[in-house]
Amino acid sequence: MENLEALVHGFGIALSGNHIFLMVIGVLLGILVGVLPGLGAPNGVSLLLPLTFGMQPVSAIILLSSMYWGALFGGSVTSILFNIPGEPSSVATTFDGYPMARDGRPTTALATAFGSAAFGALAGVVLITLCASWVAQVALAFGPPEYFAVYFLAFASFVGMGGSPPVKTLVSLAIGFALAAVGIDTVSGSVRLTMGIDEMVKGVSFVVAVMGLFGIGELLIAVEEEFHVKAISSKVEWREVFRTLAGLPRYSWALLRSAAIGCWMGITPGGPTAASFMSYGIAKRLSPRRANFGKGEPEGIVAPEAADHAAGTSALLPMLALGIPGSATAAVMMGGLMIWGLNPGPMLFVEQKDFVWGLIASMYLGNVVAVVLVLLTVPIFAALMRVPFFIIAPVIVILCTVGAFSVSNSYLDVMLMMGFGVLGYLFKKLHYPLAPLVLAIVIGDKAEDAFRQSMLMSRGSLGIFFAKPLVTTLILLGAALLLMPVIWRTIARMMQGSQVKP
Amino acid sequence: MVSGRSLESATALITGAFGAAVAVSSLDNGIGWSAAGVESGTFPFIVGLVILAGSVFNLVQGWLHARAVVLGPSELRRIALLFVPAAVFVGIIPLIGMCPAAALYVFGALAWNKRGSLLVAALAAIGSALALYLIFEKTFQISLPRGVLGALMGF
Repeated sequence: MENLEALVHGFGIALSGNHIFLMVIGVLLGILVGVLPGLGAPNGVSLLLPLTFGMQPVSAIILLSSMYWGALFGGSVTSILFNIPGEPSSVATTFDGYPMARDGRPTTALATAFGSAAFGALAGVVLITLCASWVAQVALAFGPPEYFAVYFLAFASFVGMGGSPPVKTLVSLAIGFALAAVGIDTVSGSVRLTMGIDEMVKGVSFVVAVMGLFGIGELLIAVEEEFHVKAISSKVEWREVFRTLAGLPRYSWALLRSAAIGCWMGITPGGPTAASFMSYGIAKRLSPRRANFGKGEPEGIVAPEAADHAAGTSALLPMLALGIPGSATAAVMMGGLMIWGLNPGPMLFVEQKDFVWGLIASMYLGNVVAVVLVLLTVPIFAALMRVPFFIIAPVIVILCTVGAFSVSNSYLDVMLMMGFGVLGYLFKKLHYPLAPLVLAIVIGDKAEDAFRQSMLMSRGSLGIFFAKPLVTTLILLGAALLLMPVIWRTIARMMQGSQVKP
Repeated sequence: MVSGRSLESATALITGAFGAAVAVSSLDNGIGWSAAGVESGTFPFIVGLVILAGSVFNLVQGWLHARAVVLGPSELRRIALLFVPAAVFVGIIPLIGMCPAAALYVFGALAWNKRGSLLVAALAAIGSALALYLIFEKTFQISLPRGVLGALMGF
């Protein structure tokens, strides 16, 4: 009941004219970056970050998180109408969304997607409302070993459940850690890994990395694949929208299952992309209508959309309660939190009640605003897709350049950004995941500090990670996740072996 | 033409070189245990080794299991058409400053594609430079680079 009271208080903060206005702006900008190929939620949010420095933290986070919701919805619009996923997490929506729209039912496809997305998001927010402060309370008693164990679990779950080749995930993660270490070491004060360039003392900002990896990198992927815009009528028929929404409860089992998958993947940082693919895959295996999948089956839209949004939303739970972001965009927002002078983690729930509950309340409102706005603006943003790519591309390059430069007024950052762009292209092309790299840049220092503080407590003995039941459980769980790919492969091989034998 | 094998190898070599550089460079900070706790080079050193080991694994895997051709001539051409102008844009920023460079970039991109007249391209170029100046320099007080040209003209 305490949570409910706090939530009502939060609504009091979020429901001001100023904040509703910021939500509308954020959602619209979010749909814009979601629709444009080459611009996504992580670098959209990073671009907006420098502009929030003068704001109240609550207002700033409402603007940024609304942009995140908008981007999640915007990505689905292009997936369904053009067969071009505007966001990596909406790739799975194209499998059934586009065929349905092509068969002359674009409104049904869009409404199914938005309805299930809203359900997924709602599940995520309810989970945050109920559990976040409880998790934070437990985490208040955490010492450095517990923190290190949680970080370890988070990183291990990327490797074990992220869906990308495990060794590639590991390399991506480790590169992020190395980049986080560049500059002044927070514990000893010594300078590390500057490679002889004095300016590197300031370190590598996550914003620069995100601009390059997600901005320039995606742009290169987009031109290489040379998408052809074959527009389907983007007119929205309102009667059809309401009829589709009213029919959604028929898929309640799929909705619940997908939302649960999404929440799980959001909290353990598997991320929305992995969640939507996993949910689609499971639906395809379990659904009674599995033969229709890929031909415009509604359940094939419900499953990835609900999971995508549930994961995107619940990714904020570990960010708020533990200081561990559950997705690349959450990592960028957490970087923002630190810049605004807040300390993400359990103390937030004690010291910054207004901020936390204002944000949680705004998540309920923001998603409602997002559904309404995205339905109203589908024709406008669909028209935007007809702007030729050779006009959009320079605009995105210029925005990323200015964005990277503005982090610390440094030209070196612009050069780094271009370097990250090439790396981002290669990584995307070869199925290295990018989210772990960004996550490691943002929380690499904290993980390292937690490890070194634990070592100080134990005078250099690793035994401290096996001294208390909670820490040991987390470490063992992490180790199991790390080994999961190997275990799966062994099981698969054994199954194959037993099938071959008569 | 670029084969999947060479793309995988090149990426693994880049990450491997980075890992090696990180490991070697962190030796300067000291690795291991000292009176003040874990020395500051330890963590990066381990991370560097992980990157190196992972890269070697990816190199071998990429060599064994790569698809034949991943980038044909037309893909390479399209990538170059995007990347080269972008790199030139970034390259001339220190010379002529952010706003003029952006104007030239937009003008070049529109003129190259030959849609609409040069006048439209010029207007779009001036428009985007102005927008940059007004949004970032004026509204958000981010001082954009002026470049050598700007310094000569006394900005």
